[in-house]
Amino acid sequence: MARQERGSAGPDPASKGPVPGAAELDIWYFGVRLGEARYAFLAPLVTEVVRLGPLTRLPAAPTFLPGVFTHRGEILPVLDLSELLLRRAVSLRPGVRAAIVHAEPWRVAVVADEMEGLLHVPRRRVGPPPAGHAVRDFLQAVVPDDLGDIAVIDLPRLVAAARARSAPA
Amino acid sequence: MSDSIQLLLFQLGARVFAARAENVRRIAGPSLERPEDGVESALGDPWDPRRGLVVEVAGEERTLLVDGVLGLKAVPDSDFQALPAFARDVLPTAALAGFAMLDEVATLVIDLPTLLREGKGAALAPSEETPRHA
Repeated sequence: MARQERGSAGPDPASKGPVPGAAELDIWYFGVRLGEARYAFLAPLVTEVVRLGPLTRLPAAPTFLPGVFTHRGEILPVLDLSELLLRRAVSLRPGVRAAIVHAEPWRVAVVADEMEGLLHVPRRRVGPPPAGHAVRDFLQAVVPDDLGDIAVIDLPRLVAAARARSAPA
Repeated sequence: MSDSIQLLLFQLGARVFAARAENVRRIAGPSLERPEDGVESALGDPWDPRRGLVVEVAGEERTLLVDGVLGLKAVPDSDFQALPAFARDVLPTAALAGFAMLDEVATLVIDLPTLLREGKGAALAPSEETPRHA
C-alpha cells in the first residue's frame, strides 16, 4: 500500500500515472489517527488539508463541534472526529491540521489526532467490517497493512448522524 | 458605499460578542438595581455583571447581564457572514445569528431578542449519545 501526504485528494497528476486497468482495482482513502487507532474515509471527499486557524468557539455547541474557523474568507465548522467516534476530544493545539471535506450537503473541517494523508489501496485488500467493532455503525470496510488494520468509515453518514442526533426538536 | 450594520460589542465571561445595536433599548448599570432581573442565557454567566443590555422581548423588557460594554462599531454588510449550515443545524440555540469580521477575527453576532426569549434552556444541548449499536 502506498502512502502519500498531500493537500488534496486523488492521485497526483504529476506521478507516473496508474497502470492501465488499475483504476478500477484501487481505492484512494484519506487516513487519520485517533489515538493509536487508524481510520480512513474516501479520499475524494477531501478538498484540501490546511492548518487550523484561530478557532471561534460556539456557545452551547455539542462537544463534537469545538468551533468554527475562517478559511479564505469562508467560515467552516470544525468537527472532532475523535469525539464523534470515540467520545474523546482531540487536543486542538496551535497548527493542528484539518481536512476540509464535502459531506453533502455540508462542508466541514475535520480534525483528528494526526493526519496520515492519502492511502492507495488495492481493492482486493479491502475486507468487510468485522462484527463488534467499536464504531461498527459507521464502518464500511477494514484494510490491513503492515502497521495494522485501518477502519474505513462512512464519513457522510457519520456527519449526518451527528447532525440528526443534535438537531433541536 | 455599501450598507453597514451598527454593532454593540460586549464582554460576557472571557468572550467578546456583538449584537445589533438597534436591538438594545438601553444599557443598565453600573449599579444594577435589580440584578435578579437578568436573564440566564445560552452564552453562560458573566464573571462580574456590571452592565445590563436591556432588550424588548414580546412587549416586555428583559436584561442580559454582561461584564462590560466595549462600544459600538459599524461594519459593512460584506463583513457579516451567516452561521454555517451544519453549525446552525446542530446548535440548540437560534440566537447565534452569524459572524462579523472585526480586525480579521470572526466575532459572534448574537440575536439578543431570540437569546433572551429562549433563556438558559437553549444551553442544554440534546443528548450526544452516539448511536453506535445497531
